[in-house]
Amino acid sequence: MVAKKWNRRDFLKASAFGAAGFVAASSGLSIAKASHPTKSRTRQAATIQVIDPWAAAPQLADAHDAQIARFMESHPNIVVERSEIPFEEFRQLLIQGALANDIPDVVLIDNPDFHAFAALGVLADLTDAIGSWGQSDLYFSGHWSSTVYKGSNYGVPVFSNCLAWFTNTDMLETAGVAVPTTWDELREAAAALTTEDRFGLSLSATHSEEGTFQWLAFLWSAGSDIPTLNDEGGQAALQLWVDLVSEGYMSQGILGWGQWDAKDEFGNLRAAMNMNGPWVLGSLRDDYPDVNWQVSPIPSDKVTTSILGGENYGISSTSRNVEAAWEYIAWTQEPENYKQFLKDVQQFPSRMDVAEDTYWADDPVLSVFLAQIQQARPRAYGANYLEMSNAIQDAIQAAISGQKSVKEALDDAFAIIEPLLSE
Amino acid sequence: MWGTLSKPQTKIVTSSARGRWAVRFRKLSNYLFVLPMMIYLSATMAYPIYVNLDMSLHDLNVRTFRSGDAPYIKFDNYKKLINDPGFRHAAGRSLTFTTISLGFQFLIGFSLALFFNRPFPLNGLLRALLLLAWLMPAVVGGTLFRWMADGDYGVFNYFLQSIGLGRYKDYWLLNPDTALAGTIIANVWVGAPFHMILLYAGLQNIPTTLYEAASIDGAGAIQRFIRITLPMMRPVMLGVLLLGFIYTFKVFELIFVMTGGGPVDATTVLPIHIYRLTFAFFRFGEGAASAIMLLLGLLLLAIGYAQLIHAEEAA
Repeated sequence: MVAKKWNRRDFLKASAFGAAGFVAASSGLSIAKASHPTKSRTRQAATIQVIDPWAAAPQLADAHDAQIARFMESHPNIVVERSEIPFEEFRQLLIQGALANDIPDVVLIDNPDFHAFAALGVLADLTDAIGSWGQSDLYFSGHWSSTVYKGSNYGVPVFSNCLAWFTNTDMLETAGVAVPTTWDELREAAAALTTEDRFGLSLSATHSEEGTFQWLAFLWSAGSDIPTLNDEGGQAALQLWVDLVSEGYMSQGILGWGQWDAKDEFGNLRAAMNMNGPWVLGSLRDDYPDVNWQVSPIPSDKVTTSILGGENYGISSTSRNVEAAWEYIAWTQEPENYKQFLKDVQQFPSRMDVAEDTYWADDPVLSVFLAQIQQARPRAYGANYLEMSNAIQDAIQAAISGQKSVKEALDDAFAIIEPLLSE
Repeated sequence: MWGTLSKPQTKIVTSSARGRWAVRFRKLSNYLFVLPMMIYLSATMAYPIYVNLDMSLHDLNVRTFRSGDAPYIKFDNYKKLINDPGFRHAAGRSLTFTTISLGFQFLIGFSLALFFNRPFPLNGLLRALLLLAWLMPAVVGGTLFRWMADGDYGVFNYFLQSIGLGRYKDYWLLNPDTALAGTIIANVWVGAPFHMILLYAGLQNIPTTLYEAASIDGAGAIQRFIRITLPMMRPVMLGVLLLGFIYTFKVFELIFVMTGGGPVDATTVLPIHIYRLTFAFFRFGEGAASAIMLLLGLLLLAIGYAQLIHAEEAA
């Protein structure tokens, strides 16, 4: 329950230790690889530290504190201390912590980064613990696969989310347009909904993981994938975005917008449609109470799909309290505890047994997301995913800004990605 | 001459064994004064640089990060970088960004310094206000310019529209042709007051008697500037240019906030490239190598500057 913000001093301390750790690491002084789960002599003193990337998300942070309080009530022999850092700095601080052998016991990592951190050796191999726990079959296979790297199991999903299609009900009604379900309908709807003072739709194509996240949903829908990025499907997916911008149905501003900016365009009636995740639901209701909207599946081409987001729990490879840490994680996954936490954070279950709960199934908005999550795919491309993602961001931006043709942009990106796939 | 006179005296002092030790101790105790600084510098400068150098010579990446067996690969990281189009592109962007930024910062800073060098009411207050731009955190300045240059809501476009040039409206920071220029303008705005303050201090140090004498001899304003101001300001100008170059070459936050290095790679300068190599791609060895190259480049510049100053003082 002790929430601690990483301030500048902690940061500097971590960097200093990081530098010190590096000498040891690179000059060959052996650093114990993964400390073996020590048999805890007394069960009294176990203190585990948990770190999450929610310094800027008070709703998530409060829910996490509440969950930890509930755990400690029923587990007086384990003390859980939570600390938080902003999402954008999470990766960097985790690396510095890893160099200093000073990572909190339990870490909550964004699922596309999870493979990379497993590869870095930052996470403890939990294959045995999870095997004897025996509940892995209860999870949606898409999300579960993001916790498995090279056959070993490094964690458990915290929660899932995915993208869906938001439409402004009033605008669609006035224009006499139905919610698009195919790409052709999408083009027509975008054209019909574009007026003098608004665009047909808003997306995020910014030069960050958010841009890749949004576009991959289209790439997969076209029947393509990163290992075949520059095939016909890949070109069709990118061409669609390029056309929507060049025909004026989508602002070129998408190149700079994150998903929250794209949501604001939609809320401010500057866009009639928007692709986004459940994390904007609270803001749409609170900040734009007069806007009348609904949620539907993403218009699809060949394959109906969505893209999976969410966090995974992992245990740091240097943790001295692996047993207590695992006890905590396993406790969070017990259906009652899990449901309570998910309702507090407004996210979706990664477990099938919990997904059947009426809380999600009977809600007109949440049920759409829940249905999409079951079809959603994770970004499970191994340790080099972030570099592939960067190449894809370059391709999207080059094509939309007119610097390269769609084919050229994708060929260039693929030339970078191909060697990374086999590594 | 003077030295020969004093020599016998020191010999007398050091003749006894005790005196010799006293001198030795005094010499040693001199080093004692330097010691804290040496410790500080080695802990905060030499050691990190050594670690960085060591990293740059090893194949340190995702696979060898924690295992501690990153193979020693000599200069392979450096070779890889030199052949890497991404690195070369970033180095080119950095040079363009720095030279153009520096040119404008210096010209504007110098003009402002000359302007403020004449006494007029509110001089001090205005100077302080101008410095605000430099005092502002880069994140604030960057965000400010990001919104001003925005394609849909930005004040630049509004201004163009209102003077009847609406057809030239653009998404300034999202267009690969204009994004770098946008970051340069923001950086000039941030950096020019810094140049002004340093150059202003230099101008204040030129004795006014020189100008008075020149005026009496009939020199005009332009002649006074070329024959007195410029030569007298030479060391200050060189110092400001060097500092400015180093500061500008290192600019990271401002660009990161404004464009994140995009669109595509239009504003990916070296510091952003290094950041990506290290913290996004986990290519620690290559990241360290490019940081060392950046350091060496700037170090060479500083050495050149020191030589120049030295030569000037000797002359």
